[in-house]
Amino acid sequence: MSNVLRPYLAAVRSTLTAALTLENFPSQLVERHNKPEVECGTSKEVLLNPLMISRNENERVLIEPSVNSIRLSIKIKQADEIERILCHKFTRFMMQRAESFIVLRRKPVKGYDISFLITNTHTETMLKHKIVDFIIQFMEEVDKEISEMKLSLNSRARIVAESYLTAFNT
Amino acid sequence: MPASEIYTIAQAPVTCHAFNADRSQVAVSLNSTDVQILTKKGKDWVATDVLKEHDKTITSIDWAPNSNRIVTSSQDRNAYVWQLTDGVWKPTLVLLRINRAATFVRWSPNEDKFAVASGARAIAICSFDPENNWWVSKLLKKPIRSTVLSLDWHPNNVLLAAGSADMKARVFSAYIKEVDERPAPTVWGSKLPFNTICGEYSSPSGGWVHSVGFSPSGDALAFTSHDSSLTIVYPSDSTPTTHSVRLPSLPLVTLAWTTESTIVAAGHDCQPLLFTSSPSSNNSWSLTGSLDSSAPKTAAKASPVGRLNNAAFQTFKNADSRGAGAGGAGGKGEETELATVHQNTITSVRAYSGGVGEVGEVSTTGVDGKLVIWSVDSGSVGGLVGKLGGMRM
Amino acid sequence: MDVNFRKIDIDAYDEDVLHESELYEADPRDPSQVLSEAKAKSASVRSLLSKNDISGALSAVLESAPYGPNVEEAKIVTLQTLLTIINTTKSTEISGVVKSLPQDDQDTLMKYLYKGMAMPGWGDISGSVLLGWHEKLTEVAGTGCIVRTMTDRRTV
Repeated sequence: MSNVLRPYLAAVRSTLTAALTLENFPSQLVERHNKPEVECGTSKEVLLNPLMISRNENERVLIEPSVNSIRLSIKIKQADEIERILCHKFTRFMMQRAESFIVLRRKPVKGYDISFLITNTHTETMLKHKIVDFIIQFMEEVDKEISEMKLSLNSRARIVAESYLTAFNT
Repeated sequence: MPASEIYTIAQAPVTCHAFNADRSQVAVSLNSTDVQILTKKGKDWVATDVLKEHDKTITSIDWAPNSNRIVTSSQDRNAYVWQLTDGVWKPTLVLLRINRAATFVRWSPNEDKFAVASGARAIAICSFDPENNWWVSKLLKKPIRSTVLSLDWHPNNVLLAAGSADMKARVFSAYIKEVDERPAPTVWGSKLPFNTICGEYSSPSGGWVHSVGFSPSGDALAFTSHDSSLTIVYPSDSTPTTHSVRLPSLPLVTLAWTTESTIVAAGHDCQPLLFTSSPSSNNSWSLTGSLDSSAPKTAAKASPVGRLNNAAFQTFKNADSRGAGAGGAGGKGEETELATVHQNTITSVRAYSGGVGEVGEVSTTGVDGKLVIWSVDSGSVGGLVGKLGGMRM
Repeated sequence: MDVNFRKIDIDAYDEDVLHESELYEADPRDPSQVLSEAKAKSASVRSLLSKNDISGALSAVLESAPYGPNVEEAKIVTLQTLLTIINTTKSTEISGVVKSLPQDDQDTLMKYLYKGMAMPGWGDISGSVLLGWHEKLTEVAGTGCIVRTMTDRRTV
């Protein structure tokens, strides 16, 4: 399984580098405004083709680029009910603190678990290759976090059940 | 061809820059609402003046070398012309009559007109009205369908090339009766009233046209577009000949012709690239190399993907990732600096020394706040470094 | 008086706005002609594959690929043909085959790789195979190829 992970992350990395070619673009619709065009979606000519990179049906990354912003949405692998609940809680925890993440979006795009919005102000203040590194690290880490949480959840449940049921063993 | 001089002028992105005639001063905008004039004092650039008038980000500056006037355009739909009187820069109002941001501005070769590109799908050609002491404009509208991103004037002061976000590069006639005399016929056409389209070109894979430039003689037009390509058009009566160079690297956003057969272009790759045409192979253009000798030779490849990935794996195997949270400390401590001189996108390339058609040095500014002067050896890549202040052939 | 004026979508009547279809040059060929071409290509590719000529087969299918609206069936046929080629190529041969393609074909191949990844689980699409090809193609053609896939409106 892990030998598909490397080309998957490589593909996400190269697509993200290609998409992070952003520039300051004043709004064409409202004077003196500057909005992320991928979120407005009204001027079709400044939006680019959205690209999807998928490893299998359950793990996908959607990148929607435009002239001054990109939206990156990730669907995390959730094999069973417990993982689904953990993933939902985990992403909810992060999205409530989206301000300190700077690039995180408060609501995920429909069909995905978590979304990032990167605009030209972010690429101006931060190094582009570090933003890409951050996203890739995030993708690697989130799977690990969820499986660790599941393990600790299971071991805790076992301890609780044991200590509760030994009381009946007299 | 190493860089002759590297200056870090700010910690903020340098949106645009323009040198004065003797290159002792440069007007820059640091992603803000004012223009700073920096004067060369010894080895550094020191801020001597600040021009405050705009109330939104300044998008473009141009400094007319002969008449010593500066024109600035900004996202607040205005442009101002600044004149130096008694050591103070005084702004003059320009009636642009556009209702969206102004994105680009350039003086014409004779410095009696200037063109302003805007998000209102129009280009304003401004000339001075001495009766009322302001600059009035005429708008070029049809057939532009989206924001105009860049402009360049033809040496005959009448033709104007414009690249816009509707994926097309166009050549217009900006003939103003009061200011210009009838131009001689050129390869682009003759008898050109205001707003005639002399040509409309685009790149095969589409992509917004970030930058346009006429060759020093005006007989060819080069433009860079977002599909990572540089296209050069030679117009003729029947069908124009187009040469397109497709790059394996990220898109270019700015270009400058150095001689009739060499172009320097730069963009998201953070290094200026040199393109040359050879008359032997029927004027076809190719990428000859990068001006940045410190860039890795395999700059064309995608960043070393496998290596960084494995390193990330190792860091996580070693470090204790519990409770750190996905967004937490990501500092790996390696590779924070790029191998190229500029650390972020280059926003503007302009000719620095040498006359039209024999440019010896170019200056670049980028989002990393650096101003770098490069020497261009017209001819082979790998020429020797010229001394400060000029090269001899 | 028609009170429904409040529900009219004013922006749809704006003449200045650019539509998707105006952003690229439409395919001059007729849809049925495109479909018959696609089917003919799939037959010729099968014969080339039996002779083990992988790069020939790839060039045949990538040349003048169908794009734009109205040619959905032709696009699916071409995608199917391409998938058969990709699945039958050995991983050691991928690099050589990709290097021998002209630039236009490399760009079209990248478009098809992304199209394949957008439909995981359809037909015989294998995510790992597509990702392997994507990696090799990026090494040869660079990130510029990916940028062209994003900007080119002629979606396959």
